[in-house]
Amino acid sequence: MDSVLLKKLLLNQDPEFWGLLTRLSRQASDFEELFQLVSLRKKAEARQIPGSGLIPEKIRLALLGGCSLYPLHALIEHLAEIEGLSVELWKGDYDNYISEIMDEESGLYSFQPQIVLLIPSEHRCKYSGLLTDCRQKQQAEAQGMVDSLMELVSKVHEKTAAEVILTNFMLPVRHDLGAFRSRTLGSDWSFRSWVNLELGLSAPPYLHLCDLAFLANRQGGIKARDDRSWFESKQPCSTSFLVEFAREVVQLISSFKRAPKKVLVLDLDNTLWGGVVADDGLEGIELGDTSPRGEAFKAFQKQILVLKQRGVLLAVCSKNDYAKAVEPFEKHPEMGLRMEDFVSFKANWEPKSENIRQMAAELNLGLDSFVFVDDNPAEIEIIRQFIPEVMTLLLGADPADYGAQLQDCRWFEPRNITAEDAGRTGQYRAESQRKVHATSLTDMPAYLESLEMESAISEFTPVDVPRLAQLINKSNQFNLTTRRRSETEVLDVMKDPNFIGFSVRLKDRFGDHGLISIVIAERMGTTLKIDTWLMSCRVLKRQVEEEAVNELIRLAKQRGCDRLIGIYLPSPKNEMVRDFYLRIGFTLTAETESKREFELQLENFQPISTSIKLTRRAYESS
Amino acid sequence: MNQAEVIAQLQIIFDTLFLEPVVLTTEISAKDVSEWDSLMHISLMVSVEKHFAVRFRVGEVENAKNIGEFADLILKRQLEP
Repeated sequence: MDSVLLKKLLLNQDPEFWGLLTRLSRQASDFEELFQLVSLRKKAEARQIPGSGLIPEKIRLALLGGCSLYPLHALIEHLAEIEGLSVELWKGDYDNYISEIMDEESGLYSFQPQIVLLIPSEHRCKYSGLLTDCRQKQQAEAQGMVDSLMELVSKVHEKTAAEVILTNFMLPVRHDLGAFRSRTLGSDWSFRSWVNLELGLSAPPYLHLCDLAFLANRQGGIKARDDRSWFESKQPCSTSFLVEFAREVVQLISSFKRAPKKVLVLDLDNTLWGGVVADDGLEGIELGDTSPRGEAFKAFQKQILVLKQRGVLLAVCSKNDYAKAVEPFEKHPEMGLRMEDFVSFKANWEPKSENIRQMAAELNLGLDSFVFVDDNPAEIEIIRQFIPEVMTLLLGADPADYGAQLQDCRWFEPRNITAEDAGRTGQYRAESQRKVHATSLTDMPAYLESLEMESAISEFTPVDVPRLAQLINKSNQFNLTTRRRSETEVLDVMKDPNFIGFSVRLKDRFGDHGLISIVIAERMGTTLKIDTWLMSCRVLKRQVEEEAVNELIRLAKQRGCDRLIGIYLPSPKNEMVRDFYLRIGFTLTAETESKREFELQLENFQPISTSIKLTRRAYESS
Repeated sequence: MNQAEVIAQLQIIFDTLFLEPVVLTTEISAKDVSEWDSLMHISLMVSVEKHFAVRFRVGEVENAKNIGEFADLILKRQLEP
């Protein structure tokens, strides 16, 4: 479908072509798909569709090797272009790389490459003697193989000063020798494995290995190979593996130009542990070896610690009550991460984009050094919109996959690990603590508008009773009175004509949040007294509160009331709504340690406008 | 399936891959279509093998002189167990 749209944009000369092309190219996993994008890009360039963006300088990239470089070159060129790296290509002749490198008059040198990709022939990486030859003899030949490759590589580097990318050798995938393959260096399996290891361990700084052995193993060796395409057109691998190959080359090229990320910013609830600590409590969160989910979260934390050891700075950014958020780090026995592992710890109700901006200022780092991880797509979106420099990782539905997602993100790949890297956390922590916090404003209204929120407000209905009772008994943080009610008691409220009760559902373009807020009020003459007001914290600052107060006032007026009374009953968990009534326009009328009372005169009240589209109101059949 | 039906299905594949419309006939071949270069050819073969769930034997595609022969080859490979 998307490619049909892309074609249409191309035929209409629409500049939006480029954005869609980039998106599809990053996702494309099979050859035909990517190939089609390559040819559409070429056509778009030929037709001069506006908006491709000016790429100032071209990187001169020479490809040479013992296989066909075609269509590999087209994929590399395309994927580089998509990542904003324009390349000018020079292609060597099939299996002519040795003389191209040794002959100083060759086209390779007149091209003056900045990067050279060398794909040595795997057919040459073979032991020539017998499987039963002594190990010293076999090893000497393997070393000779490494030496001759190193000689080629250093020759080309000396002459051009280019960075050199060298592919290593894919391992055999056929049973052939059986278990004997690993008992001799003379088998292709052992010989190539040895050569691969030695190439990596002895590579000089300008040499970068394109690890085909690893990539083929990752994809599946049999799937990565295609003998027919070797016989027909000297392809080094299957078409599907060619895509992985080209992506890796582009990844390497871009790593020459771009530094790895420095800071990993983590959400807390359902990211580092299962559940919501402020609601479920320290004992209620899923973490540790008592359950499979708990184990998965614990393993994820361990992986984060591995990144820290490599020198990545860790930070927290969570919509949470600070005191609740730090509790697991201080008291939970299964936590791998502790407070001192973080250079910055933001747990508050400000937009996450603001928190990360502040972090960047405090740590004196550019926003482009940050990676943000969250399980909530709406939080990821706010970062993408407001601080697009920050890379985001949206965790999937299953915590078992979190670790793999982090390991595959490719933003923290080191060139070299130094002792200084590992000591960075302490240094940045100190810096962060010295700096004064400054707050700036984000364009919240535009963000809220972009969420395309829709709400349905409904009086209590029998079908909702189980969910109503569940939310009434579970909500702790945004809960003004923390009055619990059973299903029967909810039904009682429904029957009593002096009570009004309504629920709010919210949807946005990321999905349906379901029933997330409940209000119950009791009429006493011309006063409407709010008995219960609670909301799920997932939708905090999404203007659901505002729509609820609008609705409450509409219903109060309908019933002939002229004022509202609101009560706040403090609990260990509801500090965040202590001033809630003041924020939405009530005035404080009485206060004791165990109760605050507020009122609102209805004649003065103007409905608050929000970005939520209401699809239904309470006590009006839809 | 017969040759005409195979060509009708090939037409759908061509319509997706080629930007300029190509009307397939039994006589048409790569040299008649400027967009049909060797890069396109590789992609076309990958798509065709996937679509018809066939695998051509080494070298036989280049022996097919035109779309008619190519369709016959697809039919032949489809009949294999």
